[in-house]
Amino acid sequence: MMRKRLSLLFLAGFVALSLSPSAMAIPAFSRRYGTSCTTCHSDFPKLNDFGKAFKDAGFKFPKDDESFLKQPPTLLGAPAQAELWPHTVYPGSIPGQLPVGLRYNTYYQQIGANRNNFNQVLPAGTVGNFIPKSDFQPGYFSIFTAGSMGTGISWWVDDDISVAGANANGALGDGYLKFNDLSRFLKLPKDSLNLRAGQFELDLPVSQARTWNLSGWDIFSEQNVGIQNGLGPAQNVTNGSAMEDAANGVEFSGGHAYGGYHYSFAVFDQNTTGVNISPPNIGPQNAVAFNSDANFKDMYGRLAYRFNLEKDPVSRNDVQAAGTTGPRDHTYLTLGSFYFYGRTATPFSGVLADGVTPAVLTAREPFYRIGGDVNFNYRTLNVFGVYLAAHDRNELPVTAPGAAGITSFAPSSPVTFSGGFAEADYLALPWAMTIMRWDQVKSSADRINFIEYNPASPPGSSFFSPYSATRNRFTPGEQFLIHANIKTSIEYQIMPQQIVYNPATGAVITGPFRTNALIVGLEFLY
Amino acid sequence: MKRINLVAPIVIAALSTAAFAGTIHGKVSGVSGESVVYVEAVAGKTFPAPTAHVTIDQKGLMFMPHVTAVALGTTVEFLNSDSVAHNVFWPSISGNKKLGHNLGTWPQGQRKSFKFDDPGIVSLLCNVHPEMAAYVIVSPTPYFAVTDSSGNFKIDNVPDGAYTVTAWHEGAKNKSNPVKVAGDTSADFTLSK
Repeated sequence: MMRKRLSLLFLAGFVALSLSPSAMAIPAFSRRYGTSCTTCHSDFPKLNDFGKAFKDAGFKFPKDDESFLKQPPTLLGAPAQAELWPHTVYPGSIPGQLPVGLRYNTYYQQIGANRNNFNQVLPAGTVGNFIPKSDFQPGYFSIFTAGSMGTGISWWVDDDISVAGANANGALGDGYLKFNDLSRFLKLPKDSLNLRAGQFELDLPVSQARTWNLSGWDIFSEQNVGIQNGLGPAQNVTNGSAMEDAANGVEFSGGHAYGGYHYSFAVFDQNTTGVNISPPNIGPQNAVAFNSDANFKDMYGRLAYRFNLEKDPVSRNDVQAAGTTGPRDHTYLTLGSFYFYGRTATPFSGVLADGVTPAVLTAREPFYRIGGDVNFNYRTLNVFGVYLAAHDRNELPVTAPGAAGITSFAPSSPVTFSGGFAEADYLALPWAMTIMRWDQVKSSADRINFIEYNPASPPGSSFFSPYSATRNRFTPGEQFLIHANIKTSIEYQIMPQQIVYNPATGAVITGPFRTNALIVGLEFLY
Repeated sequence: MKRINLVAPIVIAALSTAAFAGTIHGKVSGVSGESVVYVEAVAGKTFPAPTAHVTIDQKGLMFMPHVTAVALGTTVEFLNSDSVAHNVFWPSISGNKKLGHNLGTWPQGQRKSFKFDDPGIVSLLCNVHPEMAAYVIVSPTPYFAVTDSSGNFKIDNVPDGAYTVTAWHEGAKNKSNPVKVAGDTSADFTLSK
């Protein structure tokens, strides 16, 4: 619920909360290979085709990696030791210099003049939340390290030092070890089987944790929380899972991001801490809810195919296309789909069938997220989009006649939401990218949850709601590379219309208004 | 006697040619690393284009060598020894943007050649690896030399006479000095950035 609240506060103009903390490129690779960030990034952290191939290969050059190294690796055993295995530790290597990169960003935001309209819902004389018109904000200080251990093993660890949360919300982002090209042991096609284990962002069509935008895509941060008040049908769903959340588990994958097929399949859990994330959204209020049922591992799969559209077969199949004036990203069309299946668990205090004996009853509610994506690139114009539909089974508590508490659960209408985004990035110059974005989340629960003021909420948490069940956001932006490792970004968020209602009567206090926001970010890596 | 009369002019001519072919030697100071010293164009005199080609390699995300001096009309072959795609372009020759050129893309192991018919300083770049850089100094005369890392140079077979000799170094201001060549001639240059 807290995160849900935050996402709605975002609508009210606390824009900084949604700023993406984890955009990053890896200066350690620049040092290791003596090359510029632009070798792998078109507008960091957005990867170009070579960067995708570099990542696919386990943070190595796809061919002849050793010939490009400017810092020789430190051997953890001579390669010839391999002949002695299993009577010796298998030899590996680590980068010759500590591959650490650091990043810092800072922001300025300017929010629409009607940003404090929400306070009109408060009783006269009550001090409400104050949203400043303009605001300088510190960003994130992040450390990240990644590289190759030799023998096809790579790793990645990143951490936002200055904030709390996980992955796109800060703190430890990805932290995994990846075994690249296990297919070579099984005599399968090259790179057709990789395995990574640890904490990682799901294999989303585009990365939320490493987005190049100042704010993340709304659909990836959407949680499914059923209706909490009497204005809608009862919904006993409090699913805190969002697509952007970090997953802990294992993932099998294969193929290449720069052409041809790509698949992944992950088995993971998202919350095994045992800590409840919120009270349930339906009475009685003596239950705890978990992001997911830890004993029932969530699953996520993705399948995509990228068609490189060059006529010349050599160019089409190479990592980069051969242009008339030099290598460039392919002209390509990627079609993909993804599917997430999980199960939430919400324990309630109830009674057994005898209607008297106290017992803990757990509502287990399977859910899925399904979607598709398309990505088209022509030279320096990249257009892509994602559509996602969410569905949670809704198990309502049932109290048998005469029983002292809940005795069972019964399925009711599922809780759903859907939406997606479309974005066009145009690299007008190698250092200037123009962005046009449209985000949409369609959730009736989102609207109904906040259409009514909740007196139980503490003062200052004035409620508001999108004007309709569909929440749109248009976000034009511009990004400039001052140097290959320094970037300034500008984003103008055209927000959904909102209304403030009278808590007592439900009458409209303030008609539809917007809290559009201008955000300017400055970040650097070294 | 008749026979002696025929041989003597040949011997004298040969000796006189040797006597008038001088050497310019010296040192370029004020900078570190390789520099190029060349004799500027000689009024009214042209030189045949060299037939031998010169190769510049792209290996390990670097141009090799970093500094190359060639005579006007030389064909330079650009080889890609890397397993990644490269290109070669130069935005100008001695600041003349009309002489800029982009050679395109070619795969590992293949070459593209270009005949440099304009004298000047050519800054070689790769448009996918912006850290890569190299220089081709196209000398208007066949009298040029690349210094050693200490700045020492020697240009052989320069006919005696008065010339303008220029020293170039990456990132430094060119310096041109009048040099009167008479046999073994010394000419030192001090460059600054």
